[in-house]
Amino acid sequence: MAIETRVPHESDLETIDINVNVGPQHPATHGVFRMVLTVDGELVVDLDPVIGYMHRGNEKLPENCDYRQVIGYHDRTDYLAQFNTEHCYVEAVEKLAGIKAPERAEYIRVILAEMNRIASHLMLFGAFGTDIGLFGTSFMYAFRDRETIQDLFEEVTGERMMYNYFRPGGVAWDLPDNFRQRCTQVLDSVERGVEQLDGLMMENEVVLARCRGLSPVTPEDAIKWGLSGPMLRATGLRHDIRRAEPYSIYDRLQFDVPTGKQGDVYDKLVVRLEEMHQSARIVRQALETMPEGPIMAEGLKRVLRVPAGEVYMRVESPRGEYGVYLVSQGSDKPWRHKVRGASFSNLSALRAMSVGNFVSDVIIILGSIDIVLCEVDR
Amino acid sequence: MVHEAATVAPPEPIAPGPVARLFQSSLPGIALEIGQSPIDEVVTVRRDDFARVMETAKNDERLALDYLRCLSGVDWLTDLETVYHLYSFKHGHSIAIKVRFPLADAHIPSVSHLWETANWHERETQELFGIIFDGHPDPRPLLTEEGLGYYIMRKSHPLADIEEWQEDYLKTIEEAKAQLAAASGVAAPVDEKALKIQLAQQKAAVIKKARDEARAKGLSPEDEKAAVQEAIKKFEEEHAAGQAGAPAAVPARPVDERAAKIQLAQQKAALITKTRNEARTRGVSPDEERQIVAEALKKFSEEQEQTAAAPQAAPAVTPASPAAPAAPMDRAAKIQLAQQKAALITKAREEARAKGLSPEEERQAVSEALKKFAEEQK
Repeated sequence: MAIETRVPHESDLETIDINVNVGPQHPATHGVFRMVLTVDGELVVDLDPVIGYMHRGNEKLPENCDYRQVIGYHDRTDYLAQFNTEHCYVEAVEKLAGIKAPERAEYIRVILAEMNRIASHLMLFGAFGTDIGLFGTSFMYAFRDRETIQDLFEEVTGERMMYNYFRPGGVAWDLPDNFRQRCTQVLDSVERGVEQLDGLMMENEVVLARCRGLSPVTPEDAIKWGLSGPMLRATGLRHDIRRAEPYSIYDRLQFDVPTGKQGDVYDKLVVRLEEMHQSARIVRQALETMPEGPIMAEGLKRVLRVPAGEVYMRVESPRGEYGVYLVSQGSDKPWRHKVRGASFSNLSALRAMSVGNFVSDVIIILGSIDIVLCEVDR
Repeated sequence: MVHEAATVAPPEPIAPGPVARLFQSSLPGIALEIGQSPIDEVVTVRRDDFARVMETAKNDERLALDYLRCLSGVDWLTDLETVYHLYSFKHGHSIAIKVRFPLADAHIPSVSHLWETANWHERETQELFGIIFDGHPDPRPLLTEEGLGYYIMRKSHPLADIEEWQEDYLKTIEEAKAQLAAASGVAAPVDEKALKIQLAQQKAAVIKKARDEARAKGLSPEDEKAAVQEAIKKFEEEHAAGQAGAPAAVPARPVDERAAKIQLAQQKAALITKTRNEARTRGVSPDEERQIVAEALKKFSEEQEQTAAAPQAAPAVTPASPAAPAAPMDRAAKIQLAQQKAALITKAREEARAKGLSPEEERQAVSEALKKFAEEQK
């Protein structure tokens, strides 16, 4: 007797969308981040990011602090780009108080901020390789070089993570004597490492297969969603705050603003890889032209009273536009201290970028945003 | 444009900048209060005009402020304020738009239909400041939990008083410690450095006194020196006498608790092994065996308690007690034993080879010799 064999077609079955919870503690969520996915099979039809696990009043606490005490809180917002965040804050205070930092201090700040950008992007490449399935290899390559930069920072500031080195009006103390030589050494080795990483990642079959064409973003969408930094430039929009609204000494330095073509995940990697070379270029120029001289503005009071007023200072951090909105009432404490985290706005676009992709790709999209949850939740 | 930090408090009234003039010409008849921050122009609008102003800012061709960089709330005690920092990618200009409304009626139209990125910014400001954004598509709290009941960024919600626990609390602890120490008769830990300083100061006072006295008496420099020397000698003798009494008050040095515990545990283990072996040789059932061991342990702990209770019973644990194992062998003895064993092994092996035994027989001979040696040792 012949048995009727028939594979049921999907349309014959009643299917329902199910919710999948990812996080808040999961290696792929880059910190304490949770998202609730609604999936139809492997396809993501909705995504609800849940943040706030790291919320610790990083805007409120500085409103009860002396202007110089606040610097430490900025190390703790974007803990992978501490110099960039400090730079933003001290520039905001200087603009409001009418302080002019000496030339040498500006050079030191730019050198350290750009080295920090390289270190931060290396972190991304290391972690991204893990997300994508190149477990360990890219991580080790990236961290080998990041470590040398951290050593350099440690020599300058005495700290590995929370530097607290910039001050309104200058920097805390001068660079070590052999800094120029040491920094050049580190740059040489890091640039070699970046080239190795380039060879390891960018032509890699896994990376090409999984990143190319994944979640392309148009410039219009990027602007609408408030993206900034490499996320924005990957769409092809040539916008960099260092170029568009130059602060510090960036207007005298030569550098290119790399852009992508279609804003997919692969382009975001390409942009960041090139940015590391550009940062190295900036540091080399600054090292060459860095003048001798004082590192702290003269005549600053022990208690810094800032005249009443307001300023929104923004810098180009590795993750995008990092902004500080300061309102002063003329006292020694800020009246309002708002931090605009680049990751915050970038992460808010996660839903729009992820819906319609597969579950496994959402992890890659999330990784390509390069979030720092401490900056998102503040 | 390069920003100069020179102008901090411009005189009133402020001449509108280029962007503010565009606003004025695009929005005739609408009251705009023009201000200036060190970087951006600032325009303050009334709440009734707010929706129209934002619409124009986004859609007017000459303004084209298509990018919302930052949205902040500010608490002015009786009023609340929202600040929108906008940027135009098309024209490269930026502006801050502020709108103020009373605390009691904290409502403002949402702008998330104009700039999608405002969605998260408004959610955050709503939960932290208690500002209701009318028409927001998803007004859930973002960073804090639902139903918090208070707005943490408002000035009416201050931080906990820091001094309460940081200074007063610490002081109370110190006082309580000192009282406890006084009651128990144990001297509080002494600060050696402070003591030394105190001593030096006392000495200096003695020298000064002796010198002054000598000068008052009109002594010659040599006699003066002698008088001072004598005073110092006397002071030191007095001090030494005071010191000699001190060590008596110092409590006996605490026993090394960890070592004592380890020793006790070893004794117990040895006791258990011994009792169990004895029980097994008698051929008792496992249950009985367990009981015997338990009884032995009970007896042992009773003995221990008695020894501990006995006042100043010389070594708390006597190696001679029947339950205790042989005193832990010192290192030299161990080495000696090992050397004896090695010599024995060599001798046994040589004898076996001289007899022409097979390797297996040789091994057996050696192990037998070792066994014999161990028995002799016992």
